Amino acid sequence: MLFEKVVKIIGEQLGLDDVSNIEATTSLMNDLEADSLDAVEIIMAIEDEFGVEIPDEEAEKFKNIGDIVKYVEANQ
Amino acid sequence: MFQTKLCEILNIQYPIIQGGMAWVATAELAAAVSEAGGLGIIAAGNAPAEVVEQEIKKAKALTDKPFGVNIMLLSPFVEEVVDVVCREKVSVVTTGAGNPGKFMGRFKEIGTKVIPVVPSVALAKRMEKLGADAVIVEGTEAGGHIGELTTMVLVPQVASEISIPVIAAGGIADGRGFLASLSLGADGVQIGTRFICAEECVVHDNYKQMVIKAKDRDAIVSARTTGHPVRVLKNKLTKEFSQMEKAGATIDEIEKLGVGKLRLAVVEGDIENGSVMAGQIASMVKEIQPCGEIIEDIINGAKEQLNILSQYKKEE
Repeated sequence: MLFEKVVKIIGEQLGLDDVSNIEATTSLMNDLEADSLDAVEIIMAIEDEFGVEIPDEEAEKFKNIGDIVKYVEANQ
Repeated sequence: MFQTKLCEILNIQYPIIQGGMAWVATAELAAAVSEAGGLGIIAAGNAPAEVVEQEIKKAKALTDKPFGVNIMLLSPFVEEVVDVVCREKVSVVTTGAGNPGKFMGRFKEIGTKVIPVVPSVALAKRMEKLGADAVIVEGTEAGGHIGELTTMVLVPQVASEISIPVIAAGGIADGRGFLASLSLGADGVQIGTRFICAEECVVHDNYKQMVIKAKDRDAIVSARTTGHPVRVLKNKLTKEFSQMEKAGATIDEIEKLGVGKLRLAVVEGDIENGSVMAGQIASMVKEIQPCGEIIEDIINGAKEQLNILSQYKKEE
């Protein structure tokens, strides 16, 4: 499933051992302590994995992981 | 000598860019660096668009050579500054404190070269994809707002991953640093601290003297707890910052202490209570010189160093 794949990428990028508590409402920056440079790496890894383009203007609007999943679903 | 891809793209003689230092990098400095064969940069900082416009016009009156404007993307006037830069058709834009993606199209349309400052490999790759003409890779040795990685480690990693020119910044002040940067895969350098002590630079003389007197360990990192660390020369202000941080002050309180302090040092010359931003290389800056002499010294130093290194070839 898309959500699990996205979570897996985020876990790998941030070096998280346990991703079981990540939900759609989880925020990269507020909950997972990612900084803006981590966010760039995550967005680029997601672009590569799913073959989508995520412009910065769109990426800036993402509030949580659910928003990222929704964007990928709509644009894949 | 040292005609790199960057010289071609920017139409300059030497691949040396002067750093876009807020309050310090005015039209006078930018024009002098461009006249000397490098690329001068006017720093927009947090200045309103009218001020930036005046500086651009002043620089145009002082030189026919290309120069650039550094746009600080967190500036409250960023949109208006972009408008002015486009209207004035400035040759080159460097950007700091963020991602210039949303303005890229407008600059490209009028042929302005866009060179973002990047602190990581991923952002460098993203900027290349968005159409950046080159990137400035700035290590933590630099003055002012800084990232985590050093120039030594970041430049080669970025150079391996992208095909647009890389400009090394942070910790470079002479021919040795220039040549080392080329060895690391850069096509040019950006130099800030040494140009603070340029004759043409309008900063208060107290500021220049403090840079000249600085020793190797004097450029320290301040305000790290805010998440926006700044490299400055040690003084009364940095002591206040560290005391506040030790006492557990909030980010807001710490940031409040920093407001207006760069101007205080640069314009008023209050180097005890002001923020004297400078890179770790400050102690290697020994004298006030015209921009032409600074650039000549860097290029000659690099040539000498290249000769010294070429001796190792004989051992083969």
